[in-house]
Amino acid sequence: MMTQTMIAPETLEDALAAMHAEPGSMALAGGATLVAMMNAGLVEPNSLVALRHVDTLRGTRQLDDGGIELGAMRRHRETALETPFKDGQTVLSYAASQIANPTVRNMGTLGGSIAFNDPGADYPAALVAANATILIVGATGTREVSAEAFFVDWYTTALEAGELVAGVRVPAALVGSIGHYEKLARIAGDFAVASVALQVTWSGDSIAAARIAIGGSGPTPLHLAEADDMLIGTGADSDALSKAGLLLAQAADPVDDVRASADYRRKVIPRLLAKAMREIAPAREAA
Amino acid sequence: MSGENEAGAVGQSIPRLEVREKTTGRAQYIADMSSPGMLHGAILQSPYAHARILSYDVSEALAMPGVVDVLTGDDLGDGRMGAFIKDEHAIAKHKVRYVGEPVAAVAAETETIARRAVRLIQIEYEELAAVLTPDEGLANDAPIIHEHLDDYIKVFPAVCGGNLVSRTELSQGDLDKGFAEADFIVEGTYETPAQAHLAIEPCGALAEMDASGRVTLWSANQSVFRVQANVCESLGLPMSKLRSLTPRIGGGFGNKMEAHVQPIVVALAMRTGRPVKLILSREEDFECVRARHPMRVRCKTGVRNDGTLVARDVEVLLDCGAYGDDSPGVLGYSLLMARGPYNIPNVRSVGRLVYTNKMRFGAFRGFGSPKVNFAGETQIDEIAEHLDMDPIDLRLKNIVATGDTWMGGSVLASCGLRECIDAAREASNWDQRDLPQTPGKRRGMGVACAAHISGLLGTGAIVRVLEDGSVALNTGAVDIGQGSDTVLTQMCAEALQVPVDGVSVASPDTDGSPYNWGTTASRVTYTTGRAVVGAAAEVERQLRDHAAEMMECSQEDLELRPGGLIGIKGVPGKQVSFHEISLRAHWRAGGPIVGHHTWVFDQPTIDPKRAVAHGLPFPQIGVYSFAAFVVEVEVDEASGKADVTRAWMAVDVGRAINPGSVEGQMEGGFVQGMGFALTEEMVWDDARLINPSLLDYKVPTTLDTPHELHTIIIEAAEPDGPFGAKGVGEIGLVPVPAAIANAITDACNIRLTTLPMKPERVLNAMEQAAHGS
Repeated sequence: MMTQTMIAPETLEDALAAMHAEPGSMALAGGATLVAMMNAGLVEPNSLVALRHVDTLRGTRQLDDGGIELGAMRRHRETALETPFKDGQTVLSYAASQIANPTVRNMGTLGGSIAFNDPGADYPAALVAANATILIVGATGTREVSAEAFFVDWYTTALEAGELVAGVRVPAALVGSIGHYEKLARIAGDFAVASVALQVTWSGDSIAAARIAIGGSGPTPLHLAEADDMLIGTGADSDALSKAGLLLAQAADPVDDVRASADYRRKVIPRLLAKAMREIAPAREAA
Repeated sequence: MSGENEAGAVGQSIPRLEVREKTTGRAQYIADMSSPGMLHGAILQSPYAHARILSYDVSEALAMPGVVDVLTGDDLGDGRMGAFIKDEHAIAKHKVRYVGEPVAAVAAETETIARRAVRLIQIEYEELAAVLTPDEGLANDAPIIHEHLDDYIKVFPAVCGGNLVSRTELSQGDLDKGFAEADFIVEGTYETPAQAHLAIEPCGALAEMDASGRVTLWSANQSVFRVQANVCESLGLPMSKLRSLTPRIGGGFGNKMEAHVQPIVVALAMRTGRPVKLILSREEDFECVRARHPMRVRCKTGVRNDGTLVARDVEVLLDCGAYGDDSPGVLGYSLLMARGPYNIPNVRSVGRLVYTNKMRFGAFRGFGSPKVNFAGETQIDEIAEHLDMDPIDLRLKNIVATGDTWMGGSVLASCGLRECIDAAREASNWDQRDLPQTPGKRRGMGVACAAHISGLLGTGAIVRVLEDGSVALNTGAVDIGQGSDTVLTQMCAEALQVPVDGVSVASPDTDGSPYNWGTTASRVTYTTGRAVVGAAAEVERQLRDHAAEMMECSQEDLELRPGGLIGIKGVPGKQVSFHEISLRAHWRAGGPIVGHHTWVFDQPTIDPKRAVAHGLPFPQIGVYSFAAFVVEVEVDEASGKADVTRAWMAVDVGRAINPGSVEGQMEGGFVQGMGFALTEEMVWDDARLINPSLLDYKVPTTLDTPHELHTIIIEAAEPDGPFGAKGVGEIGLVPVPAAIANAITDACNIRLTTLPMKPERVLNAMEQAAHGS
């Protein structure tokens, strides 16, 4: 409403230069969050640098090692439906398909979502579970940060002033691994009260590898290698699940908010983990 | 009347008359309107729950380029408005009484400037201790929110004092004797939260003064006449100086029945001499319009071992918020509904309404009934469980029927409740239900019944025959999106045996429309429909007079024929058209044909031989619609989240004028009731509403709507109703929380007494039940 100008450069260099030239400017990706915040009067950027014509931010690239690079301007819908994820990488498509509603999924972008780091959003936990890397670009060059290190605090990321999310690199998941995203929300399309993102690899009747991240229950996604390890070698029996779940619940740092109380979030973390493992049982049998 | 061959006649699901306008985005809502030279308004909201206003400094705001006027309470007189108690100024004056209350307003060249300028207004306050709950308000040493309550004008015999706005009591029979006869008594306390109306269109208004000083006001509203009354009362204007009109309305649910920003906008327009438009943001709309009352209900029901209900005692505590608004009505109505649709001989319902330093609470679809229904209908299930009776059989043993009396003593001229129960029971396969079982989920089924009135107060209709025989209908009833323009047109067309597209319907206008109290109380189909039928009958009489003279025959030989004709009975070719009659009336004899009918609902609520009432704000209320709902829920064992998977709604609407619209009202009511039951609650942190946005306050969407939502229309014709019709606007919401609660009990063996039944509450109760067993 108060924003004076908007430009839409065609290259990343021009976009960075424009942001550098105008302090107080903000990058506009899909607008799903930023425009809503502007309408609510929560942010008033002096100018907007729209990224929609920067083609290099849009695509996906399959890497030789089985990894996939996703451009920051990938729409949630594209991530959900049009990305050739394999094995446990699918945790990302499960997460993307549960973001908000079709309208938002057609507009919102991967880069825009993670740069905001709403703890109730669906990508952060899924990216941590997928062991992804965030590709960052700035005036002085590019750098890469693990998803775990990228999400720093409530609505805060490792992005420095003048930097943009260029994309995300999702490494190859273990062959035969299963990805899943279990989300609890008040109504369809709401931010998560709590969520469980995971990659699990079975070897016969026991878990060979696991990577679990909890969303919506603190400032950043919660991942504990110790909790992963508690599941490895087990048959995901209720005892093992509740031990790992309790460890995660104790380590979580949720707050009371209008979606749920902190106590409730701690209570459901182990339960959602158990539910997630039950949900992937059919995939496991098929694998 | 036949009319079955006429396109769009009564009983046909014709599309809305304005469907093209709305689906192509051409409908004009208040936010779409503008006027040459128009200014934009913005409000400054109070940061305090309760404070004395010591001084204003508006100089900085006035100095901002583009600002034309700043309005505060000091600029206005002491005029006060209120549907039941005149306790509210156009804008805060002397005191602020809730966080978010409009305390100053700006008119400026652009909305941006106006919104910036209000932040420059400096107000010095003396903060006062606040009252945040009714219990606090009733305490002996409570701060007094309205020091002059005793002096305020009240339109009913209010029993009030201190922060008590109204105490109302209804009783019949002998309560002590009733409970003494009972073999089993169930007792409980129930709490329900504030629910936001969340009409998709936020409130707004556009006012402009003409050269003579007369004001034209467009606004989002449910009654152009209530707007006129509220603006004129609060600003001290004669009604002759204000014309109130309506654009298309994007939903109301009770939110737009009484005033919002209209008085402020009119004051700004009169002071600046320029058109002023003010549209509330979603957040402002949440914070300063109105919402459903938080309510506490204590309910006690006594039953004999054979299942005969013998006594019920209900005590209601209602949070009024800072201003009376429609609250005394909501209190009285909830007490009238507390017995439920059962022949319980000994009943007492008593309620208190208490001012608090929160936003005003007011009318909302259901008008107090959903909350007492939640208490009463879950108790019926508790009793059924105790007696080991089927909950439906227990209800059938006690329900009211045609000819019985409602609580208070008014006689039910039509009652299709038994048919509703039978239909919902059969359609849901209640007796042989075999619910699908999913691992990790628990399923259950629940039932609840309800009744709701349609009626109240004055209404009118004018029907004219134009020169070419077309018919012009003008009722003053605002179509807020529920479809009354279409339904009233169908009734007019049916009554005169003309096609629907031969009838035009006027947009309400206080200059030209007959009085209509409002689109509220599920009343337009029933009350305005009766006025339409009466006015059409008057037109038919005049048409027949002309026809008899034109064809030189007697009145008894005439008949109304489809297509706008009056013919001689038994002589197929012998007829005159409305066109020919109207030309004669316009140019030669009799004068243009105009029929009108006005009436006010006048059947007493209370029969003094049967019941005693104190402080009841509506001596005449309405006729009754009935409903029986069966719902199936699935509860997630991991989270406690309850989802409604299937629902069967049977509603007795007397006669469905437009069955498609009736089904739409039932479905919409159900989903809004589901939100009230499961997800919706306005949350205050101390005095501040913390979820005034669509991000934080969640209503169910189409994605949350059950895949199977069955509507069953039952038609127990109301003898006085237009074509037998009764109202349907609210009843679809009323039994939903109770039906869902009963289904959750069936699924999980827990009984919740607090809404919303959110996952946290369900899960905690499930854990307690598991530990207890």
